[in-house]
Amino acid sequence: MRRFLGYYRQFEELSPQEVSRALRARRDEEKAQALAETPALNLASPAWHEPPHAEIVNAATFALRRAVNTYPDAGAEALAAALADRHGVERAQVVPGHGAGELLRATLQALLAGSGSGGDVAIAWPGWGPLPRLVHEAGGRPVPVPLGRDGAADVDALAAAAGPATRAVALCSPNDPTGGTIGADALRRLAGALPPSAWILLDAALADFEEPGADLAGLTRELERLLVFRSFSKAHAMAGFRAGYAIGPGGAGELLARLAPTLGISAPAQAGMTWAAANGERYLPRRREHAATERDHLAAVLTGTDFAFPRGTGPLLWLSSAALSGKELAAGLATKRIFVAPGAAWGDDHHVRITLRGPAATDRLAAALKDLRPSS
Amino acid sequence: MPRNDPTDTGGLFIGRRPGTAPLRYKEDPARGGEGRRRTDATLAAAVLVLEALVCLTLWGPQPVAWLWVGSQVDYHADSITLALAVTFLGMVATLMITLGIATRLDRVWRILRRAAGHEQREGVLPRIFAVTAIVALVLFSLWFVLIEGPAPSLAPR
Repeated sequence: MRRFLGYYRQFEELSPQEVSRALRARRDEEKAQALAETPALNLASPAWHEPPHAEIVNAATFALRRAVNTYPDAGAEALAAALADRHGVERAQVVPGHGAGELLRATLQALLAGSGSGGDVAIAWPGWGPLPRLVHEAGGRPVPVPLGRDGAADVDALAAAAGPATRAVALCSPNDPTGGTIGADALRRLAGALPPSAWILLDAALADFEEPGADLAGLTRELERLLVFRSFSKAHAMAGFRAGYAIGPGGAGELLARLAPTLGISAPAQAGMTWAAANGERYLPRRREHAATERDHLAAVLTGTDFAFPRGTGPLLWLSSAALSGKELAAGLATKRIFVAPGAAWGDDHHVRITLRGPAATDRLAAALKDLRPSS
Repeated sequence: MPRNDPTDTGGLFIGRRPGTAPLRYKEDPARGGEGRRRTDATLAAAVLVLEALVCLTLWGPQPVAWLWVGSQVDYHADSITLALAVTFLGMVATLMITLGIATRLDRVWRILRRAAGHEQREGVLPRIFAVTAIVALVLFSLWFVLIEGPAPSLAPR
């Protein structure tokens, strides 16, 4: 009888619960693994870690829903006017473009290619990473000049390095990667010490992390060979827009005209930048405070350890250790799934560049750094 | 044609449609020979008839039986309320029991059909239930309208 019933029982189907039991077990295992897995923390990119202000996205979206089949305003008049108003300069002094980097590239091309035999560009170093390559590409020779002890450009050393072949002096304030800043007086001193043919290229991509009173763009009314490059990629959190602008002296109209993108900037980028230029002070103070708080917090947590970084401004840290090389630091942090930029990219094997994010990220970074010490 | 074929779903791949999952057994069944399968097919047909008969009892014999029980309760207890309650609750109780029996018969029918070589995914109970209800309604209507007539035969003429 049992055999008889057994024959028919083999035709009983598995219930849906029985069918999915193996799938559920696999899902549970994957979930448990995902919870146990530490998420990657990317502190290598200098872009701001939060999305831009919602109104910036709204402005860009609104522009996209209008007549994008037509060409945008090639002169970006509304944007330029908003930027000129923001910095208290003339409209003709402002050139909107595809980011500070692109404008720097165009400037170097204009200054160096136009000089025939190229020329030297003194660069406060370490500075913005791609700059030496851009100088090479423009036919010039980059001359690195070490920073001061405070992590800011050493204007006296820059002035001393500038010779008759120097076409430009490039510096960054707040400096990427150290965060060091220079003031208006230092810039005036540099301008006064340079040969008359040399331009000052001030990369101020991180300047929105400084208080509005520290804005050096207004010096373009006073210094005849100062070009200031600003970006929307950092404090405005608009890196994906590729948006920035240059401000130059009123008498450099011909050079400024050569920096502008040939056919202008896309309509969404113009709209987003225009809103940000006019209303940036709604959110920039919070981000300034956020970056300063995280910087101070990490400094306090690392007090008493052999980790050090220059006091400075903005979310970028140039961290070093007495016991570990930059490569070891980066590799050690990578084992904890924290990714930073090794100083080797700047030709420096003692530092790493770290971009600060929120409190949780800072705490995780601090804990990871402290863990690195005993094991090394 | 598979029942989840996009030509059967307005051209859209919508994943598996409900009730189209393939049958899954604990292990591949060892099927009997041709004779056994024929026997199983015959048994399945017999179970189907039995299932239909069980369902048919719901629409005639059971209500009549419970009405008779109710009349007895009314006669002995002299309470129409109690008679109605007993009739109603009794009908519901036997309905549940009958459905339980029919469900088990349906499962046996499915297994016999599979043993007979068919990929029988679902049972046939809902359809039998609906068909027997229609048959009972038609038979009742024929009896009520044509045979018995609208006036009760026991009423005084």
